Amino acid sequence: MSNSKLYKGSLNTIILKLLSENGKMYGYEITQKVKDLTKGELNITEGALYPALHKLEAEGLLDVEIAKVDNRLRKYYKLTESGTKETVSKLQELAEYIKTMQNLVNPKLA
Amino acid sequence: MKLSQEHIQQLHDFTRKHYVEWFDVQLELVDHLANGIEAQWEQNPKLSFEEALEKEFKKFGIFGFMDVVSQTENSMGRKYRHFLINEVKEWFKIPQILSIIVLFIMFFLTFKSQLSEVIILSFYVIFGIWMAYKSFALRRLFKKRRSTSKKWLLEHIIFQQASGILFIAIVNIFNMLNLTNGSETSIYGAVFMSLLFTIAVIVSVVSLHILPNKADQLLKQTYHSYVTN
Repeated sequence: MSNSKLYKGSLNTIILKLLSENGKMYGYEITQKVKDLTKGELNITEGALYPALHKLEAEGLLDVEIAKVDNRLRKYYKLTESGTKETVSKLQELAEYIKTMQNLVNPKLA
Repeated sequence: MKLSQEHIQQLHDFTRKHYVEWFDVQLELVDHLANGIEAQWEQNPKLSFEEALEKEFKKFGIFGFMDVVSQTENSMGRKYRHFLINEVKEWFKIPQILSIIVLFIMFFLTFKSQLSEVIILSFYVIFGIWMAYKSFALRRLFKKRRSTSKKWLLEHIIFQQASGILFIAIVNIFNMLNLTNGSETSIYGAVFMSLLFTIAVIVSVVSLHILPNKADQLLKQTYHSYVTN
């Protein structure tokens, strides 16, 4: 990962967005999906992902489903109704942030 | 190559050794480690299980599973409070609200009576004994459940957290008793105290009696069909 601090504030938005596109996902799948989508540029650390998932779950934005896969249990996450609404507003916030940053670092493009 | 049942058991033991006591947290970490190890084996089939596990564990950073565990505990605490508040709210519906009104009036009359200190003190003692008995009984019940099943975090909170609330309630009631010493209680004072006492009684009854009785239902709701007692 090039700069983890820059991505840190967007972790929740990334998780919500991925779940809105893929329905239900499990932790490991999320880390791999982010790696694939960013071609290895962004690597979500395990130590940050699970605490974030559990926090979103406690806030009522995510719902949990446990299923038996192979010879082990797997915990899937999916968006709740309020999670779906939150995703929209989080993405808007992020888009505005990106726009503002662009204005700041590259005024000519804006 | 897929992990065997024996490997999965080893992973559970590994998480337990790294201070992950709760089965619900373990199962998620075990699945994560297992996926990581299987992915490594795809790249390098000669790698031993132990080596692959060590590599995966390192990805969690120097604090290991600590952040995951503490965040899960916070989240589950929140979930418990949510269950508690929902149950308390039930008491404000008809017909349960009648018992609240009766309780409130009883406390109010007590605070306004000449004998308020004697009555409140007796209530305090009786209620304290009931709470101590209940929390002792819950601890015993929890131990009994423990010997036959896995450790689920929510179950621990339902049976053990209750005593935390008990402690807060006891301290608060004690402070209130000190407040009543000496001077006569005003109407506002009596209303306020009666309200606090009523709420303390309801919260204690919900946390020490109602929620533990509903434990299996709440556990099923949270962990679905994977809770086996």
